[in-house]
Amino acid sequence: MGSVKLEGQVQVEWRWLIAAYLFLAGVGGGAYLVGVIADLSGGPDWMAVSKIGVFLGLPCVLIGTLFLLADLGRPTNAWRVWMKPGTSWISRGTIIIVLFMIFAAIQTALWIWPFAGPLADNESARHLIGVLGAVFAFPTVVYTGLLLGYSQPIALWNTALLPVLFFVSAVSTGIMAIMLIGRSQGVEGTQLALLTVIDAVILVFEMFVLIVFLYNAYRTVESRFSAKRILAGAVAPAFWLGVIACGLAIPFFLELFGGEGIVASLAALLGLFGGLCLRYSVLAGGTLSPIMAGGYEFARVARPKDPMPAMGKLPPS
Amino acid sequence: MAATITSKVQEDVWIPTCCGQCYCMCGIRVHRQNGVVTEIEGNPEAPTGRGKICVKGLAGTHLLYDPYRVNYPLKRTNPQKGLGVDPKFVRITWEEALDTIVKKLEACKEKDSRGAYFQATTTAASEIRYAVTAFNKAFGTPNYWVSGGGLHCGNGAHFMNGIMHVSWSIIPDFAHCNLPLNFGCSKGHGAGHTAVQNAIQAADARARGARTITFDPMQSPQASKAHEWVPIRVGTDGALALGFVNVFLNELGVWDDEYLKYKTNAPYLIRPSDGRYMRDKATNKPQVWDLVDKCPRVHNDPLVTRVQYEDQAHDVALLGTYEVDGVKCRPAFELLKEHVKKYSPEYVEEVTWIPAATIRRLGKEIAECAEIGATVTIQTEQGPKKIPKRPIAAHFFRGSQGHVNSGWTCLSIDMINHILGAADTYGAAMGLGAEVTDGYKPTGKPYQIPYPDEDGLLVAKAWVYDHVPYPLRVPKQPTRLDLHDMFPTSIYNAFTITSPHWFEILDQFKINYRPDVMINFGSNSVMTMGNAEIVTENFLKKFNFIFSFQLYVSEFEEAVADIVLPDACYLERYTPAVSFPSTFSHPQGEDDWGWTIRQPAIEPMYERRDFNVVLMEICKRLGILPKYFKALNDMTVMRYGGPFSPENKLCEDGSVEHTWPDVVDRLLKDRFGPEHGLEYVRKKGVFTWPKRKEDVYWKWFNPSRVPVYFEYFIDAGEQISKLCEQYDPQKKYIDLNWSVFKALADWYPCPTHSKEKPEYDMNAFYWRPVTQTNSMTQQNPYLDEITSEDPNIYGIQMHQKTAEEKGIKDGDYVWLENTDGKRVKGWVSLSEGMEPHHVAIAAIGGHWGEYMPIAKGKGTFFNDLVMMDAAHTDPLTLGQDICVRVKIYKA
Amino acid sequence: MTRYGMVIDLKRCYGCYSCVMACKQANRTPPGVFWSRVLRGEMGVYPNSVRQALPVLCNQCAEPDCMKVCPTGATYQTDEGIVRVDKNKCIGCKYCMMACPYGARYSVPEYKSYFPEGLPVSDYEKHCMQVWEEKRGCGVATKCDFCIDRRAEGREPACNQACPAKARVFGDLDDPESEVSYLIKTKRGFVLRPEVGTEPKVYYLPPR
Repeated sequence: MGSVKLEGQVQVEWRWLIAAYLFLAGVGGGAYLVGVIADLSGGPDWMAVSKIGVFLGLPCVLIGTLFLLADLGRPTNAWRVWMKPGTSWISRGTIIIVLFMIFAAIQTALWIWPFAGPLADNESARHLIGVLGAVFAFPTVVYTGLLLGYSQPIALWNTALLPVLFFVSAVSTGIMAIMLIGRSQGVEGTQLALLTVIDAVILVFEMFVLIVFLYNAYRTVESRFSAKRILAGAVAPAFWLGVIACGLAIPFFLELFGGEGIVASLAALLGLFGGLCLRYSVLAGGTLSPIMAGGYEFARVARPKDPMPAMGKLPPS
Repeated sequence: MAATITSKVQEDVWIPTCCGQCYCMCGIRVHRQNGVVTEIEGNPEAPTGRGKICVKGLAGTHLLYDPYRVNYPLKRTNPQKGLGVDPKFVRITWEEALDTIVKKLEACKEKDSRGAYFQATTTAASEIRYAVTAFNKAFGTPNYWVSGGGLHCGNGAHFMNGIMHVSWSIIPDFAHCNLPLNFGCSKGHGAGHTAVQNAIQAADARARGARTITFDPMQSPQASKAHEWVPIRVGTDGALALGFVNVFLNELGVWDDEYLKYKTNAPYLIRPSDGRYMRDKATNKPQVWDLVDKCPRVHNDPLVTRVQYEDQAHDVALLGTYEVDGVKCRPAFELLKEHVKKYSPEYVEEVTWIPAATIRRLGKEIAECAEIGATVTIQTEQGPKKIPKRPIAAHFFRGSQGHVNSGWTCLSIDMINHILGAADTYGAAMGLGAEVTDGYKPTGKPYQIPYPDEDGLLVAKAWVYDHVPYPLRVPKQPTRLDLHDMFPTSIYNAFTITSPHWFEILDQFKINYRPDVMINFGSNSVMTMGNAEIVTENFLKKFNFIFSFQLYVSEFEEAVADIVLPDACYLERYTPAVSFPSTFSHPQGEDDWGWTIRQPAIEPMYERRDFNVVLMEICKRLGILPKYFKALNDMTVMRYGGPFSPENKLCEDGSVEHTWPDVVDRLLKDRFGPEHGLEYVRKKGVFTWPKRKEDVYWKWFNPSRVPVYFEYFIDAGEQISKLCEQYDPQKKYIDLNWSVFKALADWYPCPTHSKEKPEYDMNAFYWRPVTQTNSMTQQNPYLDEITSEDPNIYGIQMHQKTAEEKGIKDGDYVWLENTDGKRVKGWVSLSEGMEPHHVAIAAIGGHWGEYMPIAKGKGTFFNDLVMMDAAHTDPLTLGQDICVRVKIYKA
Repeated sequence: MTRYGMVIDLKRCYGCYSCVMACKQANRTPPGVFWSRVLRGEMGVYPNSVRQALPVLCNQCAEPDCMKVCPTGATYQTDEGIVRVDKNKCIGCKYCMMACPYGARYSVPEYKSYFPEGLPVSDYEKHCMQVWEEKRGCGVATKCDFCIDRRAEGREPACNQACPAKARVFGDLDDPESEVSYLIKTKRGFVLRPEVGTEPKVYYLPPR
């Protein structure tokens, strides 16, 4: 087969803005889910955790959406985005996140702020709205993986593991966000300790999913270059420093051994940064796999970038 | 949606004209909307491509509108010259520029008009050979140089093709050729003359099922389309070709008997004493041996000549020993047959690195594919005629001929065709151009039918230079600054003028004037000749005053120009006949003849002026305008196929001042009748008329023969070496191996093949990519962008394993250093498509000029590695060796 | 029904980039935009390695993924099966660019000059920018439309017209008598990435 190191066509369109969106949608959806679960199953001790989780949902997803809008080439046309839910994951996703934001907004407004009363007292209504919100929080977290996965030519994304990876990361970063804020908002040590253990377990699981994801990517010919790009190419710094060190290893060890005060906050912050880097690495690793024809592999071959032309000198006029 | 634009349009015209991005001169149509050139496409009326056009031709709009174009005359205010010197150009008026130039030229004329010197780019091929040469003659200087003569031009190829095919270049008759053999060229695949039309034909040939074989150290565009790519060591194509000839003659016993007997000098009887023809005492003509009457006969005795294939003649001897006037002599063919025995496949394998078995296999295949004996019937003016069909063609260009064995390599490769009778006949190797045409019927012009000389050999009727390639000029005491007069077998040379001892050479050879004023027409010779520092210091800085007609401030202007004149580009000017001199843009094959003109698609912008017009103005101010018109009249004969009729002749007595379009008009009317002047031709951009089949497949309609035994080289060598020794007995300045002047083809090693300094273990060579011409197109941002799309053009190509052994990775920056310590930098592009001991560099990259920022820093400047001394010069043609042994290391 | 398609004969193509340049010029595309593009491939090991060029352009798929993923319906198919973008509906999300199996879609945030910034823009580039803004637009997805406007003027698609190898044939796939149909049937025509199921309408003939 092809003896030349063919490098696929690297997708350059979706980078940090979209990564920020994917990340924030993950954090918001993940924190909301954790909040709702805490509310459903935790009892009064977990009330602070639930509130923070639920509260984080709306602003994170909303800000994320702003990043998404900022990436649009024609934001003035953005209102048309609903038109094709039948086939487009962007249309579907928009509907999902809007519905999620509606439920999160109701939940927040009637429970936490500005009308703290109605749902605080009516537990079953709160739980009902919480479950309805969670029904949309889950796809908010997962659809981004499906959205990328629908892209057939980018084999790195075109896998069922991606939604799993995004979901696990969303829950983990959601917990970290809750812990980060919770520490100053009166969450008790017991809950924090339990959250820390849960998060550490999730981190291990996330690591496992990530390894399988990349191993699969490397094993598949079409996505091998993507895997190389992430592990040893242009994306490697973001991956090794951001995802592995900041996002997984450091938080894991700090959670296991450090555990308290500023160190724990640092662990959470690093973990969140890692979540952002994970989205970025997946996006920036995306490459159109070489096209096969007549026994050849065809691709644009990456070469050293020639310098951008300088101004030089204009002939006098 | 287009409504808004169309509603604004007041002007929307298509102007048929001619491309000028390279020397192919394809017909184009230019779209002008509201005074802005917006599109260029191929001209379907022009036989050069019938509407098809290459990437460079399509990208011309950016040349027209490039903000870095020179738009006003510039004057150098920094008296210092050299590489890296800021010229401190300031804008001046045309009046001041012309005034200064005329004063300098007048002073030069006063001292010695021969001190004027012009150099020009190959992309203005037609103008150089007409207007510019006429200016030289009118001014009174014999000194010129086509920039790129060192690197870009084909001293070997053009000269040898001129001898063998009366043409500038050879190309397979793709329409019927079943086995094109490509030796280091990309003809039919983006490069070479009439590139677009050849590309169409080569594609047709592939689609038809023609098998192609390419010999090249690199998997060139041509090699990648070939059925078989045979990697070859650089500079050894000649040895391979002679190896094939040996296989034909001595292993297979295959040759085209009829062709060799009646269309070559193979049967000419040779004296054993000095290798000369055995001449008839009465007529002094060479003789052949009549096997029927068992007697010698002069070569053109009707009994032993066959002009047309169906003519009858006595059989003549190719082999054997015959006694004439008491001398035992043998036919030239037998000498050739014995001579090539030393090119056994085993020896050739040692030289070329191609396995002997492959050489034998391919030799057999080629011989079989030639279908010797096969004929076809074509329709001629005299009715149907039988001619031989020989569907194989060996051809070559820059790659195989850019070596110290240039001349003989070209002849050796072409010898494959001539041994098999595959020359200028159906399916065979064809001369490219309009060297054989009896003209447009009503006027009989341009008329250029070649004819035999007294020795029966082919003489061109029209040619690009003042002297035809054969018969040779007699070497004379040199008067030119490059001693050209002494070297009748050469077109140019670089080793004299770029020598550090140039003026000492001139003293030694009793040339008592010195270079004074240089006129540059669009050339960037700092980059196109060889090592930039050598060219600048040894050659260009020897001129007192240099003015330059130029599109950009190139590295040449930056380094040495005193005045830069803003030239009109090809879209802004007239050219009377881009297709002529007869070699550059005539479609090969059976399509019509076409006389393409160039006309402005837009008036020259800013203060740009057409150099043809400015030349006339300079002549006028110098008071030599009548002389100039006389020179144009004279040039018309050789260049444009016959003299002017009296009514169209340019005025030589000074009573009429012709304008440049007027010259164009007269030429057209003269060639095609009064109703077909400029006004008529400009509507289609080209005047076409039918081509006779006997002009295409002319070999068996013309009474001339071609040499396979180059008897006259022996004389030339003796004369040249004698002249040289007369002036330079110690061989201090001209030390060339005169023994290559001999009658039979041989292969000589290049300096690259030396075993000294084994650490220089890679052979670097240069190739021409389809996206670039010479050095100027690199500033075109369209072409730059597209070139960047290609993995190889801007890179240094190298084999992966070789790189691995040297610890070099794909994309690494490396230095290439030649044995003189000169080095160039670039990044490597690794692949399996390279012979492992070679590195390949494309185009003239690596610009450093500040005024061409798009081009700056792209690619690698190969020419800096090129050494321009006698050791790297072919003694036969003075062609320049452009393969270089280098070592490679990481930058 | 007319259903336009193209056949590219890889045996004829020698990778000269004329199609790329013809497209750029005809559609006045900005730097970095190649609706028509040439990819390079190499196969085998020295000395039996072979290089081949592959000209690519929008395949005008019958089941286009780009159209499916478009959230606004800006991407649509004409009656003749040509996939186009309505710039007034496109939001510039670039999802179609991710989904296209052939990398045939491009979007630029602005029409940059081919020359360094800060220079006066030439008349030609001003013209190009104006045409681009009117017909395509910055920020939205753009793509090959088989030169629909040129064909309305009676001209061939630009890449077709320029190709010096005559490697491209444009025509009606629904017409069994057309040259494209004939070539596909008789010369082993194939499409790129058939496994993605988009039913491309650009066919290739094998290089050897």
